[in-house]
Amino acid sequence: MKDAGPWIDPLKYADSKPDLPKETIETAKKVGPLTYTVLIDEKHLVSKLYNMVNVPTGVWIDEKGRIVRPNEVAFVDDRFKNFSGLDSAPYLSALKDWAEKGDKSAFVMSEDRLREKLSANDPNIAQAAAEFGLGEQLYKSGHPEEAIPHFKEAQRLNPKSWNYKRQAWALSDAKRDYGTSFKEEVDKIGGSKVYYPPPELPGEKKP
Amino acid sequence: MKANILPGLLLILLLVALPAAAKEIHATMVYDDVATDTAAARDEAGQLWITTADLKRATRFEVKPQGVCRDELCFPLPKARQQEFLRKTPPVVWFNLTAFAALVHQPVAHDAALSTWYFGLRADQRQGLSSLQAPDFTLPDINGKPHSLSDFRGKKVFLVTWASW
Repeated sequence: MKDAGPWIDPLKYADSKPDLPKETIETAKKVGPLTYTVLIDEKHLVSKLYNMVNVPTGVWIDEKGRIVRPNEVAFVDDRFKNFSGLDSAPYLSALKDWAEKGDKSAFVMSEDRLREKLSANDPNIAQAAAEFGLGEQLYKSGHPEEAIPHFKEAQRLNPKSWNYKRQAWALSDAKRDYGTSFKEEVDKIGGSKVYYPPPELPGEKKP
Repeated sequence: MKANILPGLLLILLLVALPAAAKEIHATMVYDDVATDTAAARDEAGQLWITTADLKRATRFEVKPQGVCRDELCFPLPKARQQEFLRKTPPVVWFNLTAFAALVHQPVAHDAALSTWYFGLRADQRQGLSSLQAPDFTLPDINGKPHSLSDFRGKKVFLVTWASW
């Protein structure tokens, strides 16, 4: 995938805490030249445009700018395997298959399946993004307490979004302001092994 | 007797002057994720009225005979409902940005106490996904250099997002 880009790795290059990027960017610069493009998305534009609800989220886009696999969990190494129980090898192998075979890869989704997955034009999701954006604006302009009701409204309108939960918790004392914690919420849904829905990969590749 | 009349006159003058002055407020509007402050906005039950000069400054949209336009993009205002969007108090023309948002199916979030309005993605900006075309974006790299997804046309792109929490 050397020629493929961009991909965004804010594990090291943050997009969440407004005061974090400066320090992490300095660290990132010491890593040296990378074979992929790293972008910083302070305003969560990509999540908003693609309706992403968690990280890591991957999207495959072909040479014509068309989505061939939409949002899905996208581990390219095993650094969180203990938490998620997900092995990155099948996903990486699928990615390499697509890099080689393009549209002929079995991992390219059919147009019907893509439409099914991308058709959700729920007004609540759009409204949630606006409430979240307002919360961010209030937080950044020195009103962290006033941001909280808007973050909560975003979480209520789009309950599937872990991004809205985790970002809001990261900007506050989750227990005090939201009455919860990441661990409690993960336990509520049945633990970390079901936190990430595994990518839908066909069992067998086309010859 | 004279001393009693003067305070009465003053009181009447104040009553006349106050409602007009109280209408204009400081407001912050976030459009395309860029925040713009204005000292001359009107909040009418959550509806945000701004001057057409501020409309251009905050959104780059302008009111033209054919509609509310920015570059190639133009949204006609329904003829019978002009007064919902435009109000002329010469020399100022006021524009209802929240009514316009409803017209173009754009979500709005409002914080009344801090007079802040956030305008989300319009319907035309959200249609990309159903066309299966990957929505384009431009973001800076760690050195501040901007990159657009469309710069990578002709190559396969593996787009992955991470966060720092």
